[in-house]
Amino acid sequence: MMAEIAASRDAVAVDEAIHEIYRQLTEGNDPVSVPFRTMKDVFMWAACLGYRHGERRPLTGKRVTIFRWAQFTPQVDVPLLKALAIADSGDVNVLLSEDEILTIAEEYANAGIHELRASVLGEYGQPLWNLVGLLT
Amino acid sequence: MLKDRLMELFKEYDPEVQRVISEVLTLEQEHISLERPRVKNLVRQIIDHIVQDESGDQE
Amino acid sequence: MKLERITLENFRQYYGRQRLAFSTDSQQNVTVIHGVNGAGKTSLFLAINWCLYSGEGAANVGELISKEAISRVHNGEAARTTVELTFTHDGERYLVARRLEGVKQPDGSISVSGADDFTMMRTRWDGQAERVNNPVGTMNAILPSNVRTYFLFDGEKIDNFAKPEAGDEVRYAIYHVLKLEVLTRGQRHLEEAAAEYRRELKSASSGELRDLLERDEKARDDREQALTRKEELEREVESTRRQIADIDQRLREMQNARALQQQRERLERDIKQRQAEMDRLVGNIRETATSRFVLIGQPAIERALVILDGKRERGEIPSNIRQQFVHDLIDQMRCICGRPFELGSPEHQRLLALMNSSLPGSLEDDVLDTSAALRPFAERARTLRESLNRDMRQRIELLALIQALEEELDDVSRQLKGSPQEEISRLEKQRQEFRADIESYWLEQGNLDTRLDALSKEIAQLEKQIERAKKDKSRQHLLTRRANLAQRAADAIGEMYQVFADDMRQRIEAKTKEIFKSLIWKDSHFQDIYLGPDYKLEVIDRYGLPARPELSAGERQVLSLSFITAMSRISEEEAPLVMDTPFGRLSSHHRNSITEHLPELADQLVLFVTDEELRDQARQNLEPRIGAEYRLEFDRGTSYTEIVEVG
Repeated sequence: MMAEIAASRDAVAVDEAIHEIYRQLTEGNDPVSVPFRTMKDVFMWAACLGYRHGERRPLTGKRVTIFRWAQFTPQVDVPLLKALAIADSGDVNVLLSEDEILTIAEEYANAGIHELRASVLGEYGQPLWNLVGLLT
Repeated sequence: MLKDRLMELFKEYDPEVQRVISEVLTLEQEHISLERPRVKNLVRQIIDHIVQDESGDQE
Repeated sequence: MKLERITLENFRQYYGRQRLAFSTDSQQNVTVIHGVNGAGKTSLFLAINWCLYSGEGAANVGELISKEAISRVHNGEAARTTVELTFTHDGERYLVARRLEGVKQPDGSISVSGADDFTMMRTRWDGQAERVNNPVGTMNAILPSNVRTYFLFDGEKIDNFAKPEAGDEVRYAIYHVLKLEVLTRGQRHLEEAAAEYRRELKSASSGELRDLLERDEKARDDREQALTRKEELEREVESTRRQIADIDQRLREMQNARALQQQRERLERDIKQRQAEMDRLVGNIRETATSRFVLIGQPAIERALVILDGKRERGEIPSNIRQQFVHDLIDQMRCICGRPFELGSPEHQRLLALMNSSLPGSLEDDVLDTSAALRPFAERARTLRESLNRDMRQRIELLALIQALEEELDDVSRQLKGSPQEEISRLEKQRQEFRADIESYWLEQGNLDTRLDALSKEIAQLEKQIERAKKDKSRQHLLTRRANLAQRAADAIGEMYQVFADDMRQRIEAKTKEIFKSLIWKDSHFQDIYLGPDYKLEVIDRYGLPARPELSAGERQVLSLSFITAMSRISEEEAPLVMDTPFGRLSSHHRNSITEHLPELADQLVLFVTDEELRDQARQNLEPRIGAEYRLEFDRGTSYTEIVEVG
């Protein structure tokens, strides 16, 4: 599906300054204090939160690659990324450019990560329950 | 050669000192016709490589 | 250096291309070049100088190009002069060439643009010539320009060194010919290098490494301690558990406690089980929670579906016709119902329109697929949320359950503590103490774990810094060695300089005396030559007094000549002596005795002489040593000189 259209890059990146937050949310063993297992999960959460908040924030500083394309599941992640892209641009033609889809997701994630961090780590209570709180 | 006689003068000194002097004098001779020769870096290079050689020997 | 051949082209009065070969024989090492005054001796002498060393001393660079050559070119055209010199040195053969070019001006003069062009080639073993990259440096190693006046010798200056005020000239000559200048420069530059290294050393810090190593050691010690303590605590926990087990055993054996103890054991098992359940549930919740970002993405999904659907409704995505199908259809000119249609017919037009308004093939697929993929999300959103809520509720229930069990446990403990039987009560109290101990052990272990984490991070960071500091340290070490070596070399030169200078002075003195004695016919008149620390050249008479005031002009000239040839011998430069009219001002007596010994004073001797200078006895003396002889013939009509070989 995605592979048909050539992409100019094959990894997802974040601003160097944000990388630390991603690490905080994924480093550790205890599921209650470290709710995310992969950075991809953090990214998807951040992108969705960013869209919900209605804010896109372009990456400005030095970029750090956090995971590769291949991590996105075709059943859930890829359609959701496409949905974000279509909803953002209002036009299906955005599907023609894999780069554009990625960029849109990265920029939403760049905005949403702060809300994610504040909700999960910045509140009272254990991070996992805070995360569940976002869903209910 | 006068150079040989010159180096004779220094035969009581450490071998590395002799090496430095020999190479520096050759260098100076090559630049002798210049009023203000720019040999500073070349002199440093001579010292650098002789120090390196000597430390190589000690290892 | 031994000169082999000179070739002049349009140099001053030497119009055209003219060649002269010097004698290179070791016995017949004298080349004589005759010419009347004005014939071109000085120009030829100048050619050698100019070729090797360029403009210093050349009267007027613009006057080097042959006037005849200039006259033969037109206005605006270039005229040039070249001098080539072949010589051998240290077993190698060199060819140097210097060329000057100028443009002829309307008024007939020459305008020289830019500097002259100097090239040096060296002959390889196979006869091929290769270019020398650093000609000036190479010339400096062969015969530097600052000492050339002692080898390419102008006869007019013959008594320069013997003049009373010549101390400076003598010192300059010795200083440069005998390489004292080289020593001085070497010392100075080494001093400067040493000072620079020392400056660089200062700016690097030294105490840092020690500090870092201390901190590293302390952190490692702390870590060791923490690990040891953890192990201790493990053992404590173990031993306390065993003690609790003992008490449990005792209680089980006691009639009035057995039932409660058994209840406790049941409860504890239960709790353990529930806690395992809890762990699994929490793990589950985490799995599902992290993948539930889809719920957050709901708004995006809904909006996307709206857009996708909109596209479809407007007929831009035929739901059951693909573009390829349409294409094929048109190719076959058949309608969907199977009937053929005409080119340009309304069916044809409609199909074309449909094809053109559809999206590109692959995009169309994508849109359909995406639409299909997203639809379930919207529908499943509710179910997803519900299953998560269910898990969360279950967690709460489990928590309540566990809490109830723990309360029961507390109750059992209270009952045992309140037992009328002293021993039971005591045992239970003790058991409770033990349990409290274990909990504080766990607490301490938890703290230690945090501390160990922090220490590990600190140690890792310190390691990095230490690596960096070590690199600096070794760089400092290197700088120190360099400063040291440079300074020692500079000091060595300083220490030996005076020794060398004095040694040289004495050698020159001795040699000058030897040569002077052999050249002067009146040697019984003089006792000694003295070259003092003030570099004054003195002849000492037999009364032990400086005889210089009494020296005749000729004697002074011979003294000067003796000094020059002494220097050329002592310097051991393999260099020729080229002399321009050296005998012009000598008496015939002096001339005769000099010509007897002069060939011995150099490997190669080139003499430019007038016929006056070289005749009779003087000629006879020199005869057996002459290896090549030339005459410079000046043609008054044409104003140019021709080099003619004699004999």
